[in-house]
Amino acid sequence: MFGLNKIIPVEPNINFLGLRRNFLIFSILAMLISIVLLSVKGLNLGIDFKGGTLIEVSTKNTSIGELREILSSSYSDVSLQEFGNENIILIRLQNKSNQESIETVNSVKNLIQDKVVEFRRSEFVGPTISSELLFRGFQAVSFALIAILIYIWLRFEWQFGFGAVVALTHDVLFTLGLLSILNVEFSLATIAAILTIAGYSINDTVVIFDRVRENLRKYKKLELVDLFNLSVNNTLSRTIMTSLTTLLALVSLFIFGGEVIRPFALTMIIGVIIGTYSSVFVAVPTLLIFKFRPQDEDD
Amino acid sequence: MKNYPIWKSFTVISLVLLGIIFAIPSIIYDENSENWFLKNKINLGLDLQGGSYLLLEVQLDVLYKEELDNFVDSVRLISRDQAVKIEKINVQENEVIVFFGNKEKIKDIRDSFFQMYRGVTLQINNNKLSIILNDEYRKIIQDSAIKQSLEIVRKRIDESGTKEPLIQRSGKKRILLQLPGVKDPERIKDLLGKTAKLTFHIVDNDNVSALQNNLAPFGKIIVPDMYDENTKYLLDKRAVVGGENLVDAKGSFDQTEGHAVSFRFDTEGAQKFGKVTTNNIGKNLAVVLDGVVITAPRISSAITGGSGIITGDFNAQEASDLAVLLRAGALPAPLEIVEERSVGAGLGADSIAAGQIAAIIGMVLVCIFMILIYGTFGALANVSLIVNLFIIISLLGTIGATLTLPGIAGIVLTIGMAVDANVLIFERIKEESLKQTKVFQIMKNGFDRAMSTILDANITTLIAAVLLFAFGSGPIRGFSITLSLGVIASMFTALMLTNFLVYMYVSFANKKELKL
Repeated sequence: MFGLNKIIPVEPNINFLGLRRNFLIFSILAMLISIVLLSVKGLNLGIDFKGGTLIEVSTKNTSIGELREILSSSYSDVSLQEFGNENIILIRLQNKSNQESIETVNSVKNLIQDKVVEFRRSEFVGPTISSELLFRGFQAVSFALIAILIYIWLRFEWQFGFGAVVALTHDVLFTLGLLSILNVEFSLATIAAILTIAGYSINDTVVIFDRVRENLRKYKKLELVDLFNLSVNNTLSRTIMTSLTTLLALVSLFIFGGEVIRPFALTMIIGVIIGTYSSVFVAVPTLLIFKFRPQDEDD
Repeated sequence: MKNYPIWKSFTVISLVLLGIIFAIPSIIYDENSENWFLKNKINLGLDLQGGSYLLLEVQLDVLYKEELDNFVDSVRLISRDQAVKIEKINVQENEVIVFFGNKEKIKDIRDSFFQMYRGVTLQINNNKLSIILNDEYRKIIQDSAIKQSLEIVRKRIDESGTKEPLIQRSGKKRILLQLPGVKDPERIKDLLGKTAKLTFHIVDNDNVSALQNNLAPFGKIIVPDMYDENTKYLLDKRAVVGGENLVDAKGSFDQTEGHAVSFRFDTEGAQKFGKVTTNNIGKNLAVVLDGVVITAPRISSAITGGSGIITGDFNAQEASDLAVLLRAGALPAPLEIVEERSVGAGLGADSIAAGQIAAIIGMVLVCIFMILIYGTFGALANVSLIVNLFIIISLLGTIGATLTLPGIAGIVLTIGMAVDANVLIFERIKEESLKQTKVFQIMKNGFDRAMSTILDANITTLIAAVLLFAFGSGPIRGFSITLSLGVIASMFTALMLTNFLVYMYVSFANKKELKL
């Protein structure tokens, strides 16, 4: 009956490491471009990190243009956006002080009261809170990277930890770079997505490293490049399978999960693809820097 | 059923049954059920059931400044008693520096002052006395202010009719509120945004020049009118009586004055009020709320009954809200709203519906995929996957975790990631099947070899999830909870349930060879 897994041979023999120079150049370029983008264009910070006010309304017998006209006469820094469908509108405002913002929400609500069916959501993040949230986000991501490094170091040799962290840094930078290009809103949920990507990518890397370690014990004479190639090939069908099922679930979340969760799902989709790529093409080649065997040093 | 211990089958089956049974309350989701079993259901976060999350910050700087002002007033009184002339007073950020005309009695003044304010740091330097608001003193002010504020906020929220609010201190100077089901967050914010400090002061109508120069002499203050900023009153700084002596307040309606707030004093307040109104007939009495005069009627006769009404330009809602504020009491310092997240019930319901659809479709896609790839073994993995979902739901319900929108995303993500352990096992079995032909040996090796990889891979994900919980807030924590539970449940279902199912299948189908 079924059993399409036979399409992928049990022991494929693809020379991944042979292409490592090309992929190395690609990854370094991607990271450099990401760094440039992040410092020049930056991220599309949401109110979590920028502070400000956000109001989501469902409307009747009106258009986004009409609402914009009503509001922009009172507020110069107001921005409106359709959210999912034309009757749902997101209103964003930048405010200076906490007190001012509370009053703003009130007066915005009064101005558009008769055009609105329901105030679906209103969020306000003050300037002190947004900078705290940003700080804590960075803290969480850096601690996670350190904790993962320590775990890998304890379970494997330190060289593996180094390889894993290079791959993780690559994933985080590359993902942020793409978020910057695509102008995806960067919010608290994005931090959660990035941490999950870190967890996922490391998961992928660990599975391959596990096999590298096993093969290092098993094949004492094999050249390192060949041994790494073998390990990647051994685990290839699992790598592909798990990425695909995860992507299936995420695509479903992206399409059906609603407007609020969409940026999160998109970030995760990008991250899973990058994480899978980096396990094979970044983490494993990085191990080649190190000499794992005494006899290699004689060469 | 070769090699498969009875106790192991028993454990797996009972855990699976428990997982399914305890998911029932969350699936039925009877909101008002009092049944002990049905009560073990998932709590919906504010973003799913609708409600308001507010973070308030107590404005401690105002309190410190007030305390410094008290120092100034007290030191003036003491030196007047001691007949020592004060040349100059400097009020700085954290200290008051008093320059005396002579230094003879400065030690006495210091001692008397210390009697009133124990804990402040006092330093004498020649004719100069420094009164310093030190860190411990500030901490005492801070702690008592937060405690009082918590209590007052709780009373105000209770009075507003919010069901099951969560009110707690957060960090050094903040108060966190979670108010499920609030429909009008603006009204709540209004209630919390007012200090509601009510005081009664005698109006000084004689000193016209003070008002004209906008310069209050010692012992007096200038206060604007609530409705007209340009109308100002010169009042005695000392309040005759204040809101702390109120025992009751409620909105009322007066034929001539319209909506009003009627109030009643306790015994002490009634005595003070009676005495002042008796002695000051003909003068005006100002009712001051949060630094503005609401009204300043003329005292036409002594009021000894201990009750009265406050009239103003109120509507019914304003009068009743003011009564709520007066009943709950005044905040020690103003509260500032530093974060708000309010979600209407409509959006919450939409999010739940969308999350359910995404989860179901994701599940179906993954299941189809697994069957396409692994055939019968894929179907077995799907059974594990479905049980996995039940276990997550039952764990969320029994530990009373809160499900948020990111939490739903975590569940959908887990559906995709949970098959990983199964895939690892199947791929190992596939490899083993090339090396040998003994069916049970292949399975055993497959599971054993995959085990350490599964553990390593999942623990790293758990590390990320735990850190997310530690540093994340609100909804994001919901994500880390479902992700962690999902990871743990998927390890169980793969290593025990899939294992069990695969053994059963191979035994009953009497497979002579194992080809994945």
